[in-house]
Amino acid sequence: MNIRFMAGLALAALIPVLAYAAAAQKPVLDAYAVAAKAENTGFSGFSAERGKVFFLAKHDASSETPSCTTCHTTDPTKAGQTRAGKDIAPMAVSKTPDRYTDAEKTEKWFLRNCQSVLGRACTAQEKGDFITFMASL
Amino acid sequence: MRKVWAGLFAGAVALLGVGVFGTQRVFSANAGPDAAYVKECSACHIAFPAQYLPKRSWERILGSLDKHFGENATLSPTALAPIKAYLDAHAADSAMGNPRILRDVPASVTPIRITEMPFWTRAHAKLIARKAFDAPKVKSGANCIACHRGAANGRFEDDD
Repeated sequence: MNIRFMAGLALAALIPVLAYAAAAQKPVLDAYAVAAKAENTGFSGFSAERGKVFFLAKHDASSETPSCTTCHTTDPTKAGQTRAGKDIAPMAVSKTPDRYTDAEKTEKWFLRNCQSVLGRACTAQEKGDFITFMASL
Repeated sequence: MRKVWAGLFAGAVALLGVGVFGTQRVFSANAGPDAAYVKECSACHIAFPAQYLPKRSWERILGSLDKHFGENATLSPTALAPIKAYLDAHAADSAMGNPRILRDVPASVTPIRITEMPFWTRAHAKLIARKAFDAPKVKSGANCIACHRGAANGRFEDDD
């Protein structure tokens, strides 16, 4: 066995490890991409930057929860707190790796929190941008 | 004749079997809804004891989850059903409840907060007077666990 082959093998073994963090969220993100395409034929992918703007934005649908940051704080790598005082695990994938891996759970909380904070359902574009931002931290 | 007796015996054994397994099934079905209640109703606050509100209160709360104390806490009908059954079977006015919890609650009133139940305001009168529930660490009277460390497991003794 020559050394180049061995190096190639080692490199190939490394790729899945590097891709792991994003791979766990891929099925959920792919499903939102399909939905976003259905919502808008001009869909051109998700953006972490748009997700950040969305996460930090203030809305006027509710005085109790005007923003995602009301409970999740402005730093998604830190734990948040519910209005009843219970800790919320950080939203950033790097801190809470199983976030956005369970499609049903993800959809349940988008449904609830988008209604609470924005007073409407979120678009698939917004959900995908949000997860992309959380996976980038 | 012997065959008849044997048949009767076998029948009795079968009936006994159905009885025993029937009971077991009921027993294990009780554990299910409880787990569903804790899973779905302790994400934002502790799973409050079912015994602290009457059935009509739980019914109103479950019927308005889209406007749940300033937040949307909607559950799918599938997720809701076992929770409704559990709360109904364990509410203050169920066979599992304690009638003292309902003292001074008129039948015409449907409380939606445990903190507005007379048993609760009596037990916490001194703390309410001291505005202890406004402290940043406590946030609200719904944050039982801030003082009662065993609250999530249903323990509310003074020293917990």
